[in-house]
Amino acid sequence: MRFLLINHIQNARQSLKSSRVRSMLTMLGVAIGVASITAILALSSGATKVVSDQVDSLGGNLIVVRPGKNIDPITDITQTQLNRNYTTSTITETDIAYIKGVKHIQSVAPLMILGGTIKADSVAPNNPPIIATTPGLADVSNLKLREGQFIDTTTDQNTVVIGTQLSINIFGTESSIGRTLTIRGHQLTVIGVLKRIDNPINYNSVDFDNAAIINFVVGKKLNQNVAQIQQIDIRVDSINNLGQTVADLNKIIKQNHAGEDDFSILTGSQISQPTSQLFYAIAGVTTAVAAISLVVGGIGIMNIMLVTVAERTREIGIRKALGATNNDILWQFLIESLIIGIVGGIVGYICGYVVAFVISTLLPFDPIMNWQIAGIAITVAIFVGTIFGIYPAIRAARKDPIESLHQYN
Amino acid sequence: MTPTTSIPVINLKGIKKSFGLGDAEIFALDDVNLTIDKGEFVAIMGPSGCGKTTLLNILGLLDNWADGDYELDGQSVACMSKRKQAKIRSRQIGFVFQNFNLISRLSVIENVALPLIYKGISHTNRLVMASNMLRNFHLNEREYYMPHQLSGGQTQRVAIARALVNEPSIILADEPTGNLDSRASHIIMEELSDLHKRGNTIIMVTHNPRLTTYASRIITMLDGQIDTDTKDVVVETDKTVKKRPLGSRHHKKTTHKIHKTKRKKK
Repeated sequence: MRFLLINHIQNARQSLKSSRVRSMLTMLGVAIGVASITAILALSSGATKVVSDQVDSLGGNLIVVRPGKNIDPITDITQTQLNRNYTTSTITETDIAYIKGVKHIQSVAPLMILGGTIKADSVAPNNPPIIATTPGLADVSNLKLREGQFIDTTTDQNTVVIGTQLSINIFGTESSIGRTLTIRGHQLTVIGVLKRIDNPINYNSVDFDNAAIINFVVGKKLNQNVAQIQQIDIRVDSINNLGQTVADLNKIIKQNHAGEDDFSILTGSQISQPTSQLFYAIAGVTTAVAAISLVVGGIGIMNIMLVTVAERTREIGIRKALGATNNDILWQFLIESLIIGIVGGIVGYICGYVVAFVISTLLPFDPIMNWQIAGIAITVAIFVGTIFGIYPAIRAARKDPIESLHQYN
Repeated sequence: MTPTTSIPVINLKGIKKSFGLGDAEIFALDDVNLTIDKGEFVAIMGPSGCGKTTLLNILGLLDNWADGDYELDGQSVACMSKRKQAKIRSRQIGFVFQNFNLISRLSVIENVALPLIYKGISHTNRLVMASNMLRNFHLNEREYYMPHQLSGGQTQRVAIARALVNEPSIILADEPTGNLDSRASHIIMEELSDLHKRGNTIIMVTHNPRLTTYASRIITMLDGQIDTDTKDVVVETDKTVKKRPLGSRHHKKTTHKIHKTKRKKK
């Protein structure tokens, strides 16, 4: 049997070589499908990894409180963060006060993300996010300043810290300390410029390079005196106290909300989940599209294998007369289609990464290489090769030897 | 059946095979009884459509039959699985076809080595065995030629080499010289005759009466039945007819008489 397998592989190689163009085109069909799946998976897991890395880099002692119960992922995707701007948040200022009272908490920062135009020398493009928060954010989210200082409680409230990109966009320079800008008709003085992070995807759902960070009090004033808190970031003093703190927070906020369970407390990987879920959903949809191209590729294999079987009917007859069993014939053709699938898969995997790296030059994250993606690519290729090769192979195996021998080439 | 001390290689009892249905049913083989012993060179003759190729296909386990029993080396074939039948084809039967039936995309040596694949012999050993076999046919210089680069006679010799490479107990040849000129035919027949002398059992279907001179036994078929059999002549000499030398010009006449008497008995 071992000799037979080797022989089948040699035989398949020879037969594929003999009709080179045909084999290559068939492989191309599979390769395109596998390439698209590989590229999609590499990029989407790259995006997911960005967020989870951030959470990891914060040492795992981060807690995020979000309004609303943690709902199922599908709804979470359809109700994006942006939509929550227009609904009243269930988290209130009083919650913050209570949270501050909980033990083991190092720093707390509420996040109130507003929209609106930012004007200075020129109007900021792309509707930059305006974040109203407290000085604690710098600590919680590890924000580093390029120059100047972060917002604090002692300096004038009408101050703003802006991202590097925003500074360039509205002032034309990275050094804009002391200059004024206008948000919703409110004049604010720039007291700090953030260091470039280049990380638009993060658990705060804010691109800090392009953001304006203002005092919570000012933010409230801009928002008709309503505190619309999208998220509270909390840093615990030690990872060992995380569990205890979560329990305490849960108890205290629930008490404050009259027993209503209308908030969610997230830690660790849960924080990155909505973002990952979104990417997984996108990846899922695009993978489905790629799967269609794989089916088309598979049909290509089946088509070519049927032609090959028809062409070699006489050979099948000869082989059977010389002692080949039906299984021998079946394997001969199945291995041929498997080789088409596997070679197509390998080529597709490589092409997929080439495509992914080319696309990633336009994206803020890099594609990921891991054995799971390689495994998926090769499994898919083998699967396509087998599924679409089995029918022609069975047809070949069932051919009547006498009729086959009478077929003339 | 003739009682023999050794088991006959082939023993057919009342084999029937038909094509078509109902009124259109034609018996390609109608109650064929045949015993072939080891070492015989049987030539099967007869007009087109008399069922001789069908008989050969059945002997080679390529075709099924409707009724009757076929024992190969004392084993009943009917109850064998397809797999077992393929194994027997691989180990005990060698085919030589009229149109050679080499695989065109394989070289000469690979074609000869082909039956060995299904015997489970390793690649190197296959090539060694095929090469040895080709040397017997003085074709060792053409090992890596492709089939289309050979003459008809050479191609058929390659096909015979292929049939012999797995040392079968029977060689089935379906008009082996049908596509060859007389000189090449002669060479091929000499080869077959040589094989016969070395103790191989050969069953050959042919149209050409001249080729029967090489055979040790001649069977003529008509309408799916065995019409005459020189062996029957030999056997039945004791009762009815005189023994005549094989390949004698007059044997047809005599056998015809036998045939008539047989019919009357029915």
